[in-house]
Amino acid sequence: MLIKTALCDLLNIKYPLLQGAMAWIAGGRLAAAVSQAGGLGIIGAGSADCIWIKQEIDLLRQLTDKPFAVNLMLGSPHIHEVVDLVIREKVPVVTSGGGNPGPYIERLKQAEIKIIPVVASVALAKRLSRLGADALIAEGTESGGHVAEMTTMCLVPMVVDAVAIPVIAAGGIADGRGFMAALALGAQGVQIGTRFICAEECNVHPVYQEKVIKALDRDTVVCGTSTGHPVRAIHNKFTRAYLQSEKAGMSKEDLEEMGRGRYPAAAVHGDLVSGSILAGQICGLVNKVQPAADIIADIFKDAEQVLQRLEEQRCQD
Amino acid sequence: MSVFEDVRKIIIEIKDLPEESITLESRFEEDLEADSLDVVEMLMSLEELYDIQIPEEATEGMKTVREVVEYISALLGQDA
Repeated sequence: MLIKTALCDLLNIKYPLLQGAMAWIAGGRLAAAVSQAGGLGIIGAGSADCIWIKQEIDLLRQLTDKPFAVNLMLGSPHIHEVVDLVIREKVPVVTSGGGNPGPYIERLKQAEIKIIPVVASVALAKRLSRLGADALIAEGTESGGHVAEMTTMCLVPMVVDAVAIPVIAAGGIADGRGFMAALALGAQGVQIGTRFICAEECNVHPVYQEKVIKALDRDTVVCGTSTGHPVRAIHNKFTRAYLQSEKAGMSKEDLEEMGRGRYPAAAVHGDLVSGSILAGQICGLVNKVQPAADIIADIFKDAEQVLQRLEEQRCQD
Repeated sequence: MSVFEDVRKIIIEIKDLPEESITLESRFEEDLEADSLDVVEMLMSLEELYDIQIPEEATEGMKTVREVVEYISALLGQDA
């Protein structure tokens, strides 16, 4: 069985599933594996420069001819050059996070690039829909990395009701149950990040994957709320020290300095003590490293079982 | 009602702040603890109220209540 939605036609993909754009670790290899398996692989540009992003796009194109996306991190110091690059490279789809991509939408649309911003509120969803976004990713606070306040369960149906374009649910989804729940909320697809940290093709340090696999339900915390840029990570010595400093009233500038470089320290160099291990709340459900194609196959096999179970529960009288 | 009064009313609705804490000089982030999502919500409410569209390039520079009030006043052809 194949669950198809409007998103499959819009993006020319087999499964309505996007792989979360995790900076530093979602490179061309992971994105290619996801796209090749029928989802939409996404290269996480993060704050990387154009040399790295171009190299990852080239790598992806050697591995697959399927559609893919590049995620623009709007706070990146290289954002203008990255927008130029995705237009030059004719990247089929762009997702965006970390702000309002409004100023770039017109240029991306002129280049016939599909644009799918991440939103965390109904007002921003309405605004970006009006500006011409092709779809929206409604991301709840359960997700890893930068987070807002609304939960996926509340945000998704409200955004679905507010706009006429497809909505993709993100935050707290890792298996077929989460996928079907998202569809029940009115989403046309899902974006999954944390489970793909544990994809074989992910450029993450192996000890980071082990940490995600060992993590339980209550193991993530949100740091940096007082700075206006809250981030969800698996708790460790670093998050404890950071949260203590935050509680003690450390200035925004000093807190930002304290957090600088901590994520690549963990993700790239495997420093699980003083690095920041970004992951979503759903990490408690991730229990093995497997190829991206197997993750996708598992999710849709599970989804089919969920559908069957629901059908069996339907009462005739 | 003046544009400033409308803007202030909308900010009160969004942030639940006392009226006297909102002045023309108030900065969204520092003084009103309004994040970027709050600002978008305010702009959308103002667009609906005045039946106008505020383009993205105009919103980027809006850091204070005065900047929003002056922009809308100019658009409506009124004095701020």
